[in-house]
Formats: sequence, C-alpha cells, structure tokens
Amino acid sequence: MPLRANLSVLENIALVPQYRENLDFDRAAERAWQLLLETGQGECAHRRDPDLTSEQRFVALLLRTLIAEPPIIVIERPALLLPDTCHPRFLERLLDTLAPRINECWILDYTWNAPLYAPQPSTT
Amino acid sequence: MGITTRVITRIGDATLRWMGRWTHLTGFTARLFAILVSAESYNNATRSVVQKQIYFTAWQILPSFTLFAALLSLVIIQISVTTAQSFGLGSYALETVIRVLVLELLPLLTALFVALRSGAAINTEVALMNINNELRALEALGIDPMRFEFLPRLIGGTLSVLILTALASLAALMLGYLSVYGLQTSSLGEFRLVMAKVFTLPILLGLWAKCLAFGVAVTVIPMSAGLSASQKLFFAPIAVLQGMVRLFFVLMLIEVTALTLTYI
Repeated sequence: MPLRANLSVLENIALVPQYRENLDFDRAAERAWQLLLETGQGECAHRRDPDLTSEQRFVALLLRTLIAEPPIIVIERPALLLPDTCHPRFLERLLDTLAPRINECWILDYTWNAPLYAPQPSTT
Repeated sequence: MGITTRVITRIGDATLRWMGRWTHLTGFTARLFAILVSAESYNNATRSVVQKQIYFTAWQILPSFTLFAALLSLVIIQISVTTAQSFGLGSYALETVIRVLVLELLPLLTALFVALRSGAAINTEVALMNINNELRALEALGIDPMRFEFLPRLIGGTLSVLILTALASLAALMLGYLSVYGLQTSSLGEFRLVMAKVFTLPILLGLWAKCLAFGVAVTVIPMSAGLSASQKLFFAPIAVLQGMVRLFFVLMLIEVTALTLTYI
C-alpha cells in the first residue's frame, strides 16, 4: 500500500500512532524518528515518496506497519518493491535490525525463489 | 436499432449518469455531515490536518486576497458614489454599495477565488489519492479517510470562505465609509444608521447561510468528483474538469437562490 504522497516519510510513519492512539505530532514523530534511526534511514525522514529510493520506500512502508505493533507482518513478493536490489540479503539485514520489535514476520514469494532465501555460507 | 431508440437510449444513459453523480454527491455530503457532528471524529491527527488546511486555504492567500478585494471594492465604491452623486442620489450611494458589495459580490467572489485556488487542488489531490490507492492504504492502517482526509478539508475550506468573506466585507465597509464621509469620525452615527438599515437580522442570517453553503460547496463537490474518478491516471484531469464545472453551476445556483429569496 502506497505512502501518502503529500507527507514526508516521518509524517507517514507518525500518522499511525497520531491517529490511532491520539498522540500529538511531536510524540508520534519521536517514535517514528527512533524507528528510522534504528534502521539507519534518518536521512530520508523529511523526503516524500517520489524522492525515495526503492530501499528507503520499503523501509518507510515497513516502519509505518511496524509502528502499529501488529501481531503478524506479511511481506508479499518483496522483489516487486525492491527492484535492482539483492532483496533477500537486504530483507535479512533489515529484519535482523528490527527483530526486537517484530512479533512474527512472514515473507510470501514464489516457490522457485526459495533458494534465494537460503542461509548464505559464511565467508572467512 | 432505429434512430429514435438510439436517441432515447442516449438520453436515458446521460440522465442515469447525471442522477448517479448527484446521488453520490448527496450521499457523500450526508456521510460527511454525520461525521462532522460526531465527537469521536476529532483527535490530534484530524485537528492538526484542519490547522494545516486552514493555513493553506485561508492564511496563505489572506494578504493577496484582501488587497485584491480592497482594490476591487474601492473601484466599485468610487464608480457607484460618483454616478449616484451625478444623478443627485448621493444619499443612497452608500446603502447601494454595501448591498451590492457586501451582500452579493464579495461572498461570491470569495467562493470563486477559494474554488479556483483550493477547490481545484482538493479535486486533483483526491482524484490522485483515489487513483494511487492511497485512500485504501489509509483504510488498511485503520485510518478512516472520511475523518482524516475529507472532514478536515470540509472544515478548513468552509472556515476559509467565511473568514475571507468577513475580512473582505470589513475592508469594503471601511473603504465605503472613507469614500463617502472622508477621514473623520463625526459621521459614524449616520453610518451606523445605514448599516442597521441594510443588515437586518433576516439579511444577516441569509448572508451567513449563503456563505456557509458556498464553503461547503467549494470543498464537498471537488472531493466527490475526485472520488468518482476511475482508477486510471488519465481520468484525473477529467475528474477535475467535471468537478469544477459542477462547482461553478452549484455556486451560481446558490447565488441565484439567495437573490430570489432576498429580493423577490
């Protein structure tokens, strides 16, 4: 589901607690800002959708979902949102970073893409 | 199929589409008003969007609009006062000017100004939000677009029309006084008498009802038109065009109705 085009990334993420928990913008933005910092995407906080890279857009969408603390997060065919990215590695890193905040996460993809998600052999 | 059948089919089709659009508009307005009067609709998020909407629709254009309205008022006042005096009707000039400007021209002009500046923007924005599935995204996150997107625009747009009309009218009254009596205060009593003659309670109530109807129209019609856009990008300009034409006719209808009720 797309971001609101006339809001920045920070405002898009903060909107959820602002509306659902009746938080004032400063407190909601603080929570959103914290999430962005955890994922290392603080620099895109004030950018709007058209100015984002596909990775930044994906992070914004994921954080907008995550801030509502859902019991399950379902990521369906991530390659659609992450073109020109090695998405299994990107997702692995991102989900590891956010692991303490995620209850359960499912990635739905085509069966023939299963090998892409296999653990990588460690290189020493 | 015969030519008569084809003509009847086309007329029937056009009538059904026309009725469908107005039914959608009426239903949308009714739902919006139901949300407007519900206390649950107001939280920090909707309040901040209302503030933003008032800022964009009223505050940003306040200096330029007030200046434009003042200049236009000054020109009309000067023409009316000079013409009335040349016919020996100087004592009626101020009353006529107030009736024409404050009761009729400035509210309509304000509504048209807000419609062109903000109504068109609202129409485009809602059409694009609809086409890009942004409204469905909000719903999926548990955010009601009626409360978050549409209600603030209704409140902001309506308040803007009311505030801008009031300020433009105030400027016109001050300019009217200065044009007729000059820069002195000894004629304030006479001016008050003219004001009391023009602004009777039914006239004042009618003026506010008209401005309120203008305010509701300049926001609700563009939003409804934007929502009716089919989910293809090239339908966005068509939705804006249809919405703005419909808005123009509704504004004119409100004005003609108000004139009929006041003067006939």
